[in-house]
Amino acid sequence: MDEFQEILQDFLVESFELIEQLDQDLVELENTPEDLELLNRIFRVAHTVKGASSFLNFDILTRLTHHMEDVLNRARKGELVLTPDIMDVVLKSIDMMKAMLHFIRDNGTDEGSDDIEDVVVKLDAITSGESASPSTPEPEATPEPEPIVEEEVDYSDMSEGEIEDEIERLLQMRQDEDKARRVAKIEAGEAVPDAPEIIDEPAKEEAPAPKEEPKVEAPAPTPPPVAEKKPTPSAKKEVAKAPAKPAASVEQTIRVDVRRLDHLMNLIGELVLGKNRLIKINDDVEERYEGEEFLEELNQVVSIVSLVTTDLQIAVMKTRMLPIGKVFNKFPRMIRDLSRELGKKIELEIGGEETELDKSIVEEIGDPLVHIIRNSCDHGVEPIADRIAKGKSETGTIGLKAYNEGNHIVIEITDDGKGLDANVLKDIAISKNVITEKEADNMGDKEAFTLIFRPGFSTAKTVTNVSGRGVGMDVVKTNIEKLNGIIDIDSEIDAYTKIKLKIPLTLAIIQALLVGVQEEYYAIPLASVLETVRISTDEVYTVENRSVMRLRDEVLPLVHLADIFEVDRVFDGGEHTYVVVLGLAESKIGVIVDTLVGQEEIVIKSMGEYLKGMDGVAGATIRGDGGVTLIVDVAALMQMAKSLKAKPAIAQAASATKVKEKPSDYHVMIVDDSKTDRSIMKNALKPLGVTLIEAADGVEALNILKAGDHQFDAMLVDIEMPRMDGYSLAGEIKKYNKYKNLPLIAVTSRTTKADRMRGVEVGMVEYITKPYSPEYLMNVVKRNINLTMEA
Amino acid sequence: MSDKMKNIIDNQQKQQDEPDITNLDDVMQLVGFVVGDEEYTVPILTIQEIIKPIEFTRVPQTPDYVLGVFNLRGSVIPLIDLRMKFGLPSAKQTDEARYIVMKSGDEVAGFVIDRLTEAIRLKKSDIDPAPETASGEKSIIEGVGKQADRILTILKVDTLLERDF
Repeated sequence: MDEFQEILQDFLVESFELIEQLDQDLVELENTPEDLELLNRIFRVAHTVKGASSFLNFDILTRLTHHMEDVLNRARKGELVLTPDIMDVVLKSIDMMKAMLHFIRDNGTDEGSDDIEDVVVKLDAITSGESASPSTPEPEATPEPEPIVEEEVDYSDMSEGEIEDEIERLLQMRQDEDKARRVAKIEAGEAVPDAPEIIDEPAKEEAPAPKEEPKVEAPAPTPPPVAEKKPTPSAKKEVAKAPAKPAASVEQTIRVDVRRLDHLMNLIGELVLGKNRLIKINDDVEERYEGEEFLEELNQVVSIVSLVTTDLQIAVMKTRMLPIGKVFNKFPRMIRDLSRELGKKIELEIGGEETELDKSIVEEIGDPLVHIIRNSCDHGVEPIADRIAKGKSETGTIGLKAYNEGNHIVIEITDDGKGLDANVLKDIAISKNVITEKEADNMGDKEAFTLIFRPGFSTAKTVTNVSGRGVGMDVVKTNIEKLNGIIDIDSEIDAYTKIKLKIPLTLAIIQALLVGVQEEYYAIPLASVLETVRISTDEVYTVENRSVMRLRDEVLPLVHLADIFEVDRVFDGGEHTYVVVLGLAESKIGVIVDTLVGQEEIVIKSMGEYLKGMDGVAGATIRGDGGVTLIVDVAALMQMAKSLKAKPAIAQAASATKVKEKPSDYHVMIVDDSKTDRSIMKNALKPLGVTLIEAADGVEALNILKAGDHQFDAMLVDIEMPRMDGYSLAGEIKKYNKYKNLPLIAVTSRTTKADRMRGVEVGMVEYITKPYSPEYLMNVVKRNINLTMEA
Repeated sequence: MSDKMKNIIDNQQKQQDEPDITNLDDVMQLVGFVVGDEEYTVPILTIQEIIKPIEFTRVPQTPDYVLGVFNLRGSVIPLIDLRMKFGLPSAKQTDEARYIVMKSGDEVAGFVIDRLTEAIRLKKSDIDPAPETASGEKSIIEGVGKQADRILTILKVDTLLERDF
């Protein structure tokens, strides 16, 4: 049984792969029915699936594929011409085959899957309908390929009656042509085979035709079999082109379980975090042991490790990359079906199908694209009559293009249809209560276009099979949001509609912008960051209880990250503040933060079941210093921003500073590892009467500070200390908003200019060199804490 | 610290040597700790590790007993303050405070406790179910262990690890 399972697995994997290419090939075949190479390839797929399924005892599947094979075989041998009607049946049977394979995958058997009889009968009809006519000795005469192509296009939009007429017309045309040719040949002295019979043959078939399925006799008149014997120049070209494709797919490959790749990706994620950490430590070490020889070596190692890690990450990412053509492949078929269904003429132009992106994204991107393209077919491209009236060509064009842009892939879907009318969209939105009239008035054209992504919104007057339920575009939005993508939509009435999807290349390891809010840090996926701006606080306006700002010619809604994440506003941000402009799917928002820390590569980690799905938090990552930083869920943040009551965007600092009444209300911390030094300082400061707290090194000092038992007015800091030196301590302290203005006074025996410079760099206000006089120390302290009273 | 360790080891030794505990299946090993004024225990097998307090990151929109998340060798783990969870006023962490990382299935979380006491071996027959008033689906008490001189509250780790907000 296990062995059987294994074989079954292989069979399914192989079949699905074959079928994927099949759709593409079939549609192509319809356009170039003479392409023998293509036909053979399709035949082989049917044949392979048939062979394997009969071996595995899938009788129904075998029966279906067998009949398909019959039809294709006849086409391959040139006994049958694949017209759109025949193609309909063939495509339907392939759909059925797909459905059946899915059924087998889910249930392990094909029994009880969809009824195939209907299709089998039709396939049979095609086969037998054709074989009923005496096998045609091929006429040597080769009709021009042009009429075939023309026919081809016409068929797709004709009713059955029209097809009959068309067949008649074409037959007549062919007969005339053949006659002319024969005449020409006879004139050239060539022997002409019993041509008249052949010409009659299709005509005879013609008579009973109306009673039968039109599909059966439609193929009769068209003559592509000849292509096999005497390829026309155009057919030759096709054949010559074809081999290039199979060659590409014969690359050396190994099939690898996706889970293994996922695991590999996780490990790389850990490595990236390790690398970040290493870089951070390297920086710290560099600072502390400036000029030491081993630093050079350490630097080299760190840069090699970080370089290799980055390469490794890219390499592993690449193993997960698939060409987007895998998704695009199904669209020619879809467009073909849709255009027949809607009675429109639509051409699909695909570009950049070799652009690669992560497998998980490829899987997610299919649905949105389907919805967008269906929409373009239904609402975008006008019916033929309208197009003619507008002076456009009968055939509408839908363009599907993918390309790379930085760390993103951009997918553009354009149609040259009727475009979007901002005013009409607004009216509909108001009538469907999607927006209020007031909102509509404030909306620009671009914003109005994004209305189509609102749930429940549809411009279609009637719900059709294809679209109009107001669900599709909402799906697009949701899926693109899930991928942290951005939707941009542009349109001009009666000219075009262009939808641009901008999607990050990969999901597991992302670039993030680190921002600081008060004492906390958050990571915002860089994919969603459009720009950052520094504004002065009076550029923030309040409109209808919402904070907004003017960004060039747009009004941007603002929200303070501290409000979203309930961060205590312990410190005033000052006159200026930073705004991170976020874009997701079709919407934009400005997020006010206190500081911009920088860009970092982060790995998304889940916070476990316990904290899963917290509003506004997409996950957590581990930073270079080993700390955990939360990742902002941009989609949720936008939702939360809507329901948030506007507060004054920049709140007053609520730090209640106690009134100092006596010198002992002032607190000064002495940080020195030498007890003697601490005692000297204590004695020197005793006359001031201020409260003195001691710490033996930077770590201890920081802990005392963080504990918050005392409000310090100044710190005396030694530079040379174990665990954490004075410079690092000052750096750490300055990270905290609330200690930004705490005077740090260096007391040290390091006297070089470089040392002093560093002191200034890390934010020390005074630099006292040992030894010093007690009075000097006292005065410096006094000055820095603004002590005016006497003990 | 080493004295305490020795004490604990001695205690364990004593318990092991006690003749009445013969069959391992009948014995439950517990780890005792103090939160507020009370001593609680959890089964030793639910404990992944015990670490000294390290830095953690606040997570917004959580109840106040969820302190945030911390980094345990590359995993991001929630940190829960048992004092606040038990409705006790929060107090300053002392040097004896520890994070007990407990797990049940795939669920892992760290719990802040005031101090550890000892590892305890208890006969299963000495464990009574939780008192009526404290039992039920949502109860965090698994049972009550009786020792010669005291009563031990055994916490239900599954419930502790369950998200209840």
